[in-house]
Amino acid sequence: MAAELVAAVDVGMTVEQIKASQMGMKALGAGIAVGLTGIGTGIAEMGIGSAAVGAVAENKDMFGLALLFTVIPETIVIFGLVVGLLLLFL
Amino acid sequence: MVGVKNISAPYIYVCTRMRVRKAKLLPKEEYMRMLNMSLPEITRLIGETEYKQEIDELATTFKGIDLIEVALSWNLAKEYQKIQEITPGNLKQFTHAYLRRWDIQNVLTILRGKMQGVKAGKIKEILVPAGSLDANVLDRLLPEESIERIIDALKGHRMYPVLAREYPAAKESGSFSRMENELYKQFYAEILAEGEGGIKGGNLFIDFIKLDIDIKNIKTLFRLRADTFKEDAREMHILGGALSATDFANLNNIDDQGEFIDQLKAKIRQKLLLSLLEEMRTEKTIRDVEVRLTRVQLEQMERMSKRNPISIHPILVYLEKKKYEVFNLRALARGKESKLPSEKIAEYLVV
Repeated sequence: MAAELVAAVDVGMTVEQIKASQMGMKALGAGIAVGLTGIGTGIAEMGIGSAAVGAVAENKDMFGLALLFTVIPETIVIFGLVVGLLLLFL
Repeated sequence: MVGVKNISAPYIYVCTRMRVRKAKLLPKEEYMRMLNMSLPEITRLIGETEYKQEIDELATTFKGIDLIEVALSWNLAKEYQKIQEITPGNLKQFTHAYLRRWDIQNVLTILRGKMQGVKAGKIKEILVPAGSLDANVLDRLLPEESIERIIDALKGHRMYPVLAREYPAAKESGSFSRMENELYKQFYAEILAEGEGGIKGGNLFIDFIKLDIDIKNIKTLFRLRADTFKEDAREMHILGGALSATDFANLNNIDDQGEFIDQLKAKIRQKLLLSLLEEMRTEKTIRDVEVRLTRVQLEQMERMSKRNPISIHPILVYLEKKKYEVFNLRALARGKESKLPSEKIAEYLVV
């Protein structure tokens, strides 16, 4: 079906080439998803991490809580990873 | 992204540390408890807080009120020096500039002590080496025999021209008050110029300093009103705030309290200060006025620091609050030493 559709707008590519191109696009999408969410996580953790280190420097008992808060933005990059995996394997 | 671009990790780090330190300051309830305690009990209680290290170190050398006085001064100096160490970039420059006010206080303490023949060791106890003149420089000034030699030893320091210019008149009158006014005027002019120097964050620093100048000018006006003899108001005015020198002199010439408050309110914009001035319509003691103004100043500063959480404000608010904590503890200890009733001591606390 896909091949027929593609044939309708023939750009002079074989089915194999089109499949490879689609795979490439998916990989690119997955990369962008993980990359951008990684940057977002980094920016979020910059602020929280700095504040956490500041708080721990003043009060050692804050360490556990500070660490927990620092890793909360990790969820963003995990979402990106999930989207990337979905793109690649579904 | 705009917000991210303007905030750097070291700023967040330092501002958080200041906030944690501020949270560790003694709460109102502790002061209320201390009001019902004796001096040794207060010393023991202070020794269980952030002042533990100083109290432990000095307990073998000093006793009673002296122990508290020296421990508080040492702790304040240590705290301020530590803050200067950890502040990054532009914040360090502003913090240094703000803490230069301690140079004035230290030099005047030495000069006044020397004039009254107080021993060098006794003067040293109340110095707070937090400004540009560190403990070593102050130690070199203390053994000097005459005031002239102390002033000469400060040659090259930014205070020297004012000290050299004002000393002959101070010597003649036996009072350093005019010299003090001139030094503070020079200090405020310099730090305003530093804030206006185009450094990032300078406008926030200036806002803070302008509030300080306004409160200082208003306090001076109330003091002049409480005074029985007329003085030249312009000499005591600090430039840079909401009140110009002419406004200041005009306000000082108004005798009626209601009219004075109305005219003053027309020049002020801060809501907290306006509502406080409204309460001042009825005559109050100068001590009460000053404590209330200081409380409003701290509250306004606190608001500013919440509005600009990653800026110079949280640092300056902590510096101010720490200063008043030490003032409060000193007032408490001195009050207890002089056997003043608790209600009287409570009037002097800025909580």
